[in-house]
Amino acid sequence: MLLELAGVSRRFGGLAAVADLSMTVAEGAIHGLIGPNGAGKSTVFNLVSGVLPVSAGAIRFRQAPITGLTPAEICRRGIARTFQATTVFREYTVRQNLLVAAQPRVNDGTLAALFRLRDYREREAAAVARTGELVSTLHLDLIADRMVAGLPHRDQKALSVGMALATGATLLLLDEPLAGLTLAETREVMDLLRTVRAGGITVLLVEHDMRAVMDLCDRITVLDHGTRIAEGTPREIQTDPAVIEAYLGAEA
Amino acid sequence: MARSTFLGPAVTLALVAAVGVALPVLTQDSYHLDVATTVAMNLLLTMSLRLQLNTGQVNMAHISFMGIAAYASALAVTRLGLSFWIALPLAPLVAAAFAVPIGLVALRLSGPYYFLVTFAFSEVVRLVFNNFFVGLLGGASGLVDIPAPSPLLGLTFTDKPSQYWLMLMLFLLGAVVLVRLDYSRFGLLSGAIRQSELLAATLGVGVLRVKLTAFVIGAVWAGVAGAFFAHSHHVLHSSDFGLEPMVLLVAYTVIGGVGSVWGPIVGTILLTFTSEMLRELRAYETLVYGLVLILTMLFVPDGLVSIPGRLRRAWQRRRAGRADAMGVGVAA
Amino acid sequence: MTLNVLVQALLNGFGLAMAYVLVALGLTLIFSILEIINFAHGEFYMFGAFVTYLAFTQVKAPFVLALLAAIVVVGLAGGVAERLVFRHLRGKTLNAFIVSLGLLWVMQAVAQIIFGIQDKSVPSAFSGVLRLGGVFISIERFAVIVCATLLIVALYAFLEWTRVGRAMRAAAQDADGAALQGVNIELISALGFALGCALAGASGALLAPVLSVSPWMGALPVVKAFIIIILGGMGSLPGAVLGGLILGVVEGVGTLFFSSAAVNMLGFLMVIAILVLRPRGLVGGA
Repeated sequence: MLLELAGVSRRFGGLAAVADLSMTVAEGAIHGLIGPNGAGKSTVFNLVSGVLPVSAGAIRFRQAPITGLTPAEICRRGIARTFQATTVFREYTVRQNLLVAAQPRVNDGTLAALFRLRDYREREAAAVARTGELVSTLHLDLIADRMVAGLPHRDQKALSVGMALATGATLLLLDEPLAGLTLAETREVMDLLRTVRAGGITVLLVEHDMRAVMDLCDRITVLDHGTRIAEGTPREIQTDPAVIEAYLGAEA
Repeated sequence: MARSTFLGPAVTLALVAAVGVALPVLTQDSYHLDVATTVAMNLLLTMSLRLQLNTGQVNMAHISFMGIAAYASALAVTRLGLSFWIALPLAPLVAAAFAVPIGLVALRLSGPYYFLVTFAFSEVVRLVFNNFFVGLLGGASGLVDIPAPSPLLGLTFTDKPSQYWLMLMLFLLGAVVLVRLDYSRFGLLSGAIRQSELLAATLGVGVLRVKLTAFVIGAVWAGVAGAFFAHSHHVLHSSDFGLEPMVLLVAYTVIGGVGSVWGPIVGTILLTFTSEMLRELRAYETLVYGLVLILTMLFVPDGLVSIPGRLRRAWQRRRAGRADAMGVGVAA
Repeated sequence: MTLNVLVQALLNGFGLAMAYVLVALGLTLIFSILEIINFAHGEFYMFGAFVTYLAFTQVKAPFVLALLAAIVVVGLAGGVAERLVFRHLRGKTLNAFIVSLGLLWVMQAVAQIIFGIQDKSVPSAFSGVLRLGGVFISIERFAVIVCATLLIVALYAFLEWTRVGRAMRAAAQDADGAALQGVNIELISALGFALGCALAGASGALLAPVLSVSPWMGALPVVKAFIIIILGGMGSLPGAVLGGLILGVVEGVGTLFFSSAAVNMLGFLMVIAILVLRPRGLVGGA
């Protein structure tokens, strides 16, 4: 198992956003995380990526514990995430956004920057090359040097996925990557995610678009009120009475 | 790294240098040279402040580091008998030595809290200058009789033109360093942190490290300005490093635009110019100044230097709109 | 060091501290609703003092009317400032800071132009001295303490028991959540800002007869107010009161033993300590 949550809880005051949650994500899968509003899905992302501390329990990535690490440290271990809201650096171009994510993680040495030491230059070149590859893969060539702020939604979403990829992560946490997209655009992003999976990268995604989730995911975990109420293949989830009661019944 | 080549900025720096060099040729007026010297010093201060603002931090203690270096340089020359030319590189290092612990403490805080703690530090420093170690620092009367820089390589630095040249050289040196930094990975990551610290952290950026680097380098260049200030003004007083000059620095930088390394240059020169023009008006100067600040922040929140970019994008949108109407595609 | 001397020092400090608490309450209210630091807050305090000055010298108004005039006029000015300028800047700390700086300069310049640069003195409505045991307090200062306390109580009542007040508290805790529950954030922001400024104006009105009135008199109270709200916790109203009491005691007692510069220094060192050790302040919640 690539990612494991064991008895994870996140309490805030008297409320538990996540309560005693245990789940696993297999390597190389596209794993869906669904549930009604307020079920705790975004909180799970915040806990795994280190943005919020856990109140109890442990999170393991590649069998090593990552609970308590900072977001930057977790990124360096190989987990990258997107956000629903601020997913990109709006004042930068597409290329610059990817470059930030592609930066070598070894050091942020400024003396090196000033004097352009050879080692620094080599790593810079590697990051630039990686950025170029991603621009092609994501079909962002035409807009690569445009400022992100003016770009359409679909491009910003694709870019945020690209940035997560640029970090060299092997596990992507995608928070509603399909929100606000047209049918055609949704198909495009879904194909992109399949390409990502084909490249050996694991995806854990939170989504509300049920058709896409059932179509795309290998396995799905269903949350309600911060706990897991079901886990299995799309077929199993669709027929699970607990899930239908909590959630899919309203979807119709 | 953030842009493709260094040609554009190199040309701009060369132009700025050319203007700086041409100035004393164009005007022999001692008063104008004085203003120009102050502008060059303020440029160094605002560009180094902007380095930190570009990581999203409003460091209200920036001027304190200028002051620490100023007093350090003055004391090194008057008490230890060191040459100004030794004190000049050492004083900024003294400032940096203070900056490291203060930065480590302050930078753990966010936004308004960082603003307030650095303000508190700056007041502590100012109170020390004004009321403590009076035998050493001069207390409320200030530190006096600070000599001008001693001669170097046959050049003297006791008159206004030569001090202008010195400050110009120091400014250009700082500008080259700071522009180079901005066009490097460091600059790219700083701006990313300013736009969204959370996003940058989850992408693996070492946020605290970048901020601390900006803080210390900022202090170093503030220190260079401070050393020059001490030996060109010959008197140091705690009010030189208090809230009033500090907020002016912030205003110059933000009005120009924090997102661009050239912002502080635009802001400092324009606002100094405005201030000179209004000088006769006393209270009305403050009034107009205040209105300029308010209006700029309301209508050009990214600073004056962002205006060309905005106009260009608006023009591009119009072109795209017209082309759409004609059924023609437009290259981005 | 007799008890009398100690209590006298405390009492002297207390009067000023209570007035500064009013300023601090206004500042923290604005911060909690709009998430901006209003650097010009001291100028609304100054504005209140000048309104009182005009009320006493031009119209010979009685004390209570002068105070009310200050509250209303400065409150209105605050509301206008919010509508014109600050509402566009909610949450944008840096830009709001520059704007408030601009506003500070505008207000100081206007005061200078209208009133000139000489200190003005405002006649006191009260004369005489009260004696409590071995300590003395001027009736003027006593009136300041009483009025400030009454205003704080009134503020508490307003926030606790009126609909508008409760909406304001909801907005202060979580603006987005409050909006979802139907609170008119635009209106509440304007009212909150106006109320914050009115409190500063009231403080200026109360202290006008005690200190002298000048266009620059706002600088010191606003710094004290910042210290107070950091001690108590930014955004916390009871924290502001607690912070004010602490500052009043520390400064009152401090001046017995140390120079005023050292006492000032102490205030800032406390700020640094709190921000480092417990940034949310002594009372401040999450």
